[in-house]
Amino acid sequence: MKKALILLGCPESPSQTPLAVYAAYQLKKKGFEVTIAGTPSAMKLMEISDPEEHYLTFKIDIDSCLGDLDQGSYDLLLGFAHKDAAVSYFVTFYHILQVPSIAMVFEKDPQLLEEFEKQVEESTGAKIVSARAYHNPTPLRVKLDRAIEEMVI
Amino acid sequence: MSFCLETYLQQSDDYQILLSRAGFKDCAKIIQENASEIVFIKPGEKILGARIIGIPPIPIGINEEKGTIIIPYTKPCYGTAAVELPVELEEIEKIKAVATS
Repeated sequence: MKKALILLGCPESPSQTPLAVYAAYQLKKKGFEVTIAGTPSAMKLMEISDPEEHYLTFKIDIDSCLGDLDQGSYDLLLGFAHKDAAVSYFVTFYHILQVPSIAMVFEKDPQLLEEFEKQVEESTGAKIVSARAYHNPTPLRVKLDRAIEEMVI
Repeated sequence: MSFCLETYLQQSDDYQILLSRAGFKDCAKIIQENASEIVFIKPGEKILGARIIGIPPIPIGINEEKGTIIIPYTKPCYGTAAVELPVELEEIEKIKAVATS
C-alpha cells in the first residue's frame, strides 16, 4: 500500500484541522495509508475532530518524524505551509523525502501569501495549492481536490 | 546516548540567542552578519544530531576562534531563532564535511 504523510503546522489557523481531516479522507479513498505528523496541540485538534480515528489512523510527533525520516519513507507528502516556520518545515521534509508533494499555502495577508508561495516554488518542485484564506477552507478544498486528482493516479 | 539539541537548549546556559521568534530569512541574515565564516548546508542535514530546518541554502555560522557555531532553530509555533552555541572542533569539521559551499 502506498503511504502518504500529511504534515501539519502550527494549529493557530482555523482552516488547518478541517483541511487535514479532508485531505486524509481523500487520500484514503485513493488507497493511501495516511500518517499525520504534527505538534501535540495540532494533534489534539485532530483527535477531537476525528474521535473514532476514521482518518487519524497513524499519527506521529512532527519532530520525532523529522528525526527518523529518510528519502522515500513515504510516497506522497502533503504539507501545510501557512506560516514562515511551516514553510521551512515543508521545504525540509520535501528535501529529505524527495517524493511527489503538495503544499497547501494559505494566509489572509496577500503579501505574506505571495512570499510563502514564492519560497515554496523556488525551493521545491511541489504542486502548490494556494488561496487567500483563514477561516474558510472551501477555496482550498476545491483546489486540493484538483491537485490530488492530477497527482494521484 | 545521542545529543539532543532541544534538551541541551533547555538545560544549558552557555548559548546565546541572537534573534528569536523571527522568520527564517531574518535569522539567515543575522547568522551571516555574526560569524567569521559561513558554510551552507541542505535542509534536513544533521548538526549535533538534530536535523536543521529551513530554506536552502541554509547558512551555518562558524566562529572557530570562539569555538562556536550559529544555527537556525525552528519550532512550528514559535518561528525561527538564530542560536550561537559552543561546539567541539570535531563538530565544526563534520559541518564543513556536509557543507554544499
